[in-house]
Amino acid sequence: MSVLAIGLLYGGATLIAMFSGLPIAFALGSVAVVFMYFFMPHASLDTVTQNVYEEMASITLLSIPLFILKGAAIGKSRAGADLYSVFHAFMHRVPGGLGIANVFACAIFAAMAGSSPATCSAIGSAGIPEMRRRGYSGGFAAGIIAAGGTLGILLPPSITMILYAVAAEQSLGRLFLAGIFPGLLLVILFAAYAVVQFQRERKTALQAFETSGAQSELLTQHSYTWAQKASLLPRVLPFVLLLTGVMVALYGGYATPSETAGLGGLLALGLVAAIYGAWRLSDFKPILYSTIRESTMLMLIIGMSLLYSYVMSYLHISQSAAQEIVALGLSKWVLLAVILLMVVVLGFFLPPVSIILMTAPILLPPLKAAGFDLIWFGIVMTIVMEMGLIHPPVGLNIFVIRNIAPDIPLRDVIFGVLPFVGLMMLAIITLCFMPQIATWLPVAVMGVGR
Amino acid sequence: MKIPGEVQIAAPASGLERAFALINSVAMVISTVALLAAAIILTESVVVRYFLKQTTDWQDEYSVMLLVAATFLSASYVQSMRGHIGIEALEGVLSPRINAVRRRVVDVVSVIFCAFFTWKSWTLTHEAWTDGQTTSSTIGSPLWIPYGTMALGMTLLTLQILLQTTRGPKS
Repeated sequence: MSVLAIGLLYGGATLIAMFSGLPIAFALGSVAVVFMYFFMPHASLDTVTQNVYEEMASITLLSIPLFILKGAAIGKSRAGADLYSVFHAFMHRVPGGLGIANVFACAIFAAMAGSSPATCSAIGSAGIPEMRRRGYSGGFAAGIIAAGGTLGILLPPSITMILYAVAAEQSLGRLFLAGIFPGLLLVILFAAYAVVQFQRERKTALQAFETSGAQSELLTQHSYTWAQKASLLPRVLPFVLLLTGVMVALYGGYATPSETAGLGGLLALGLVAAIYGAWRLSDFKPILYSTIRESTMLMLIIGMSLLYSYVMSYLHISQSAAQEIVALGLSKWVLLAVILLMVVVLGFFLPPVSIILMTAPILLPPLKAAGFDLIWFGIVMTIVMEMGLIHPPVGLNIFVIRNIAPDIPLRDVIFGVLPFVGLMMLAIITLCFMPQIATWLPVAVMGVGR
Repeated sequence: MKIPGEVQIAAPASGLERAFALINSVAMVISTVALLAAAIILTESVVVRYFLKQTTDWQDEYSVMLLVAATFLSASYVQSMRGHIGIEALEGVLSPRINAVRRRVVDVVSVIFCAFFTWKSWTLTHEAWTDGQTTSSTIGSPLWIPYGTMALGMTLLTLQILLQTTRGPKS
């Protein structure tokens, strides 16, 4: 059988297995094992578990549960609400300041917790009710939080980037650094949109007031005294210190990324205990259990995705597909557009971890041949996958929002989120014209060498 | 066996299920301890290298083993919560009757795959034990330990899915 035929069969079998509703890990594993049986030497079946173990037994990959631990500790604490109150208190004078405060709180929380849905639920559960109380439309409020949450996979430490670093054989430290300025670019875009949309909604409210006398909270001014502002700070400072401390440990050359993960996890647990007085075992149990639940699910998908990629590469499917893509002779930007479109489509169905591990062997060689910087592409691909988190049909963050605020109609949530999808596209286009936004910081901090 | 499509009420937990829930919770405790131990070891690694100027050699290897154990030993508990996510896009499209069949097929395929993986994990563990295989690092830890946790975890996972399959889909 030709490689093309096997490749098509492999793809077809994967689609069927996935859409049957099999857990993703088992679907990928089963397809890989069946193809090993039919198309590979039988001895390969004997080493299948060794294969999975060896692929998984990398300390970089296995730092993922520890990063999740750190996120879960911070996520289960009241840090999200506290962080949000501080930004709110300091930004209230700016028009749309409440929206901006939410974007900022999402960004900081995302950087601490490293998870998109966790950020949405932590900031959103305080932020969405508050924004709506102050007259923001439900869709607008939902959009801000859904989009703000996606910063979690772009700002370091990001699990998505850990996998990309492993799959693309790129330096994790560089990738983390490369994500910072594109992350800030998105923060600025989101905040600017929050101001514009606020002015628009306020104008509508003002017109309504003038014509019918309808009152809106959007027209009311709120203020905080300096004493109130100052009293909020002590609760968030330790978390900001944790964030900076972990970054310093990583980039000051004190700790490897996996050590940073362990250290961050322990420190986060300690901080939660110290600040919120959670010392009992029963306080930690939900944090530890939700960590295990998420990380085990993810690690099994990762292990099986690696097996899946191994089979794909053994059968020369990835190599031939990559060669075919190169042979198409597409221009550099058309190639990029086609590949990103494919990532978008895959994002409809698959979590970012599987997309990266399954497609990297096919997509990265053509991109490299076309002269793209793979660190830069990692950032662009991450933003594209972020879009997948907030647009239908899957849009994980949309579901989180639906949980927090079930009374906002789905239609409003989706329309509230769409402008942010547009802003992300704008960020990608900006990154195409000015790749330095992503690439200068890693070079500045870690030098040019690879 | 329940008739597919019929409204099904979850039966009270049998003795076997209660026993298995107990095993799962013990495995979860071991997993959380392993996770915390890995975090502590990696933190220790930073401390001894930078403050005590000692070389760190065993920390990464032990952390890997602990985290592999944490992952596999908890797989069964996660399955008991149906926490291994899949694409449920067809769920809304198919009729309840076909959905019930689909779910049953999914469980059976899961059992077969996990059973196969379990079998191969045990043979791997056995080989590592009899041949005295060790890691290639300077520490040279015996490989049957991480292989064994993988085999044990996969065994529990297989039994858990089997239990869920025989119990039939819950309403």
